[in-house]
Amino acid sequence: MSVRAVVSKDFLDARRAKIVWFVGIHYMLLIVLFFLQVRLGGAEGAPDLLVALWNMVFIGAVFVPAIALVTAYLSIAGERESGSIKHLLSTPVSRRDVVLGKYISRAGIVAASLVLGFAIAAVLAVVWFDSLYAAVFVRIAALTTIYALAYVAVAIGISAVTASRSRAMAGALGFYLLTNLVTLNDDISGLAGIDYVLNTVLGLGVGEDLIQFVGMLTNPARAYLVATIGVFPDGRLETMDLPEPSELSWYVQPEVAAVILGLWLILPMLVGIRQFERAAVS
Amino acid sequence: MTAIETKHLTKRFNEEVVAVDRLDLRVTEGEVFGFLGPNGAGKSTVINVLLDFVRPTEGDVTVLGYDPTTDAEQIRRRTGVLPEGASLYARLTGREHIGWVARANDATVDVDSLLSRVGLSSDEAGRAVGDYSKGMRRRLALAMALVGDPELLILDEPSAGLDPTGMQEFREIIRAEAGDGRTVFFSSHILGEVEAVCDRIGILNDGCLVATGTPDALRSNLDLGGTISIDVAYVPDALALNAIDGVEDVTIDESTITATITDSTKKIEVISELDEHTRILDITSAETSLERLFNTYTSSSREDAPAVDNEIGAAEVGVKR
Repeated sequence: MSVRAVVSKDFLDARRAKIVWFVGIHYMLLIVLFFLQVRLGGAEGAPDLLVALWNMVFIGAVFVPAIALVTAYLSIAGERESGSIKHLLSTPVSRRDVVLGKYISRAGIVAASLVLGFAIAAVLAVVWFDSLYAAVFVRIAALTTIYALAYVAVAIGISAVTASRSRAMAGALGFYLLTNLVTLNDDISGLAGIDYVLNTVLGLGVGEDLIQFVGMLTNPARAYLVATIGVFPDGRLETMDLPEPSELSWYVQPEVAAVILGLWLILPMLVGIRQFERAAVS
Repeated sequence: MTAIETKHLTKRFNEEVVAVDRLDLRVTEGEVFGFLGPNGAGKSTVINVLLDFVRPTEGDVTVLGYDPTTDAEQIRRRTGVLPEGASLYARLTGREHIGWVARANDATVDVDSLLSRVGLSSDEAGRAVGDYSKGMRRRLALAMALVGDPELLILDEPSAGLDPTGMQEFREIIRAEAGDGRTVFFSSHILGEVEAVCDRIGILNDGCLVATGTPDALRSNLDLGGTISIDVAYVPDALALNAIDGVEDVTIDESTITATITDSTKKIEVISELDEHTRILDITSAETSLERLFNTYTSSSREDAPAVDNEIGAAEVGVKR
């Protein structure tokens, strides 16, 4: 199985490059710091784990993809720039095997690091907070992992369509800025931009939910945030200043957002494989 | 049987730049074929097409009976490749390189014996490639190409960047590996190298094949005998060297007389003619080197003659008496 040959070689190389350490330590620090912040910052009495988890989701939405992109954006473009891809493609592995193998290797590193981070978080939750909310916790861990892997897929896709390090970096950075920094602040958010283009410029009179849907389709961070709303128990969302799913149209329900997040796992890979299969490697 | 065949192979980049121009090339099974040409002649482009690294603009290509554009994996399974200008994985050891290539080829290898064939010790094999010298990297890359005992070896400028001693050693390894009926496609811009290793040579210039044949055939085809230089005690007044049939050009530089000869057997007549009139101190005879051949073929099609490594390739024989 030639995908396996690519995976084992790439994993060995990534391990030597200390990528595993980079990802593992950053994700762990990230998760522990969120919990610590909620634990220390609870001015109005006993802090609530659900608030801690939502904090983690919201801040994680910004940092988790950054680490995922850094882990994978050079995996193919770097080999094309150095020419070592010629050694790889001189063996019977196909171009598709290269892209898939790189994805499996880097996604494995990211997923394992996140799982480890969440395991530590689970211990902290039990120690620091009254209740674990196991179901919520596990679902958030799963959604966050899918979210991270979607960005690994994007990074692999970008790496597969670019022939040099600098272009891969420009692509990864550009994608990050477009999908993440614009979700931080409502006034400059991607949604405000979509609203401006569709309603103010084109005068289409598009409703708020449809704008949210376009936002989810074009931005995995938005899809992730909407998907996580469905994880929290009913009645708690209002106190956390989040919309109740029952008030929203069907196409912006958290389940739809989760499906869209799943598409972000697959589509960048398909584009990457297609483009890399046609690329001239010289 | 044909190992490599191209028919009217053309590769254009950006519509204007023609890297390979209607190339017809045929390499038969078991032969060591030297693909010779100056840098930029299009050699690497042809090799990249054979391996489906780039797609041809026009023309048909088969390698071991397979079309690279549809069956590249079949070709690579049966072919060992030493690519040009491809770096290795600095963090992996030599042994690990062989390991993953074997895995990708579904081949089992005796790593240590393979590495010793290319002159790497098992101690060196355990070190990260980042610490390797240029020569060790080329040896390792050759060992990677040999994994799985391929029918066809494609070597793109195998000795690029090596010093003369390293080149010599590398050449011997290649000759040994070419021995057992394996087809070798060997690209180089260094004449001495292909002359020493190859059964047949094709000279590529500006994307076109300008000549093919055995080294001897190419030489005799051009009918260039070579030169003979004779140091004499004094230059005789009456010289009738030009009268000898087959002597083309005579130059006198102080006490050295140099004659260009189209027929090697006439050299002895030049020597005896001089021996009658003066005292001979030293004789230097040179066969037409492939270098001259190369220049003759490649400079005819373009004004600026290609740069050729001058220190290698001249087959000079000094005769003392």
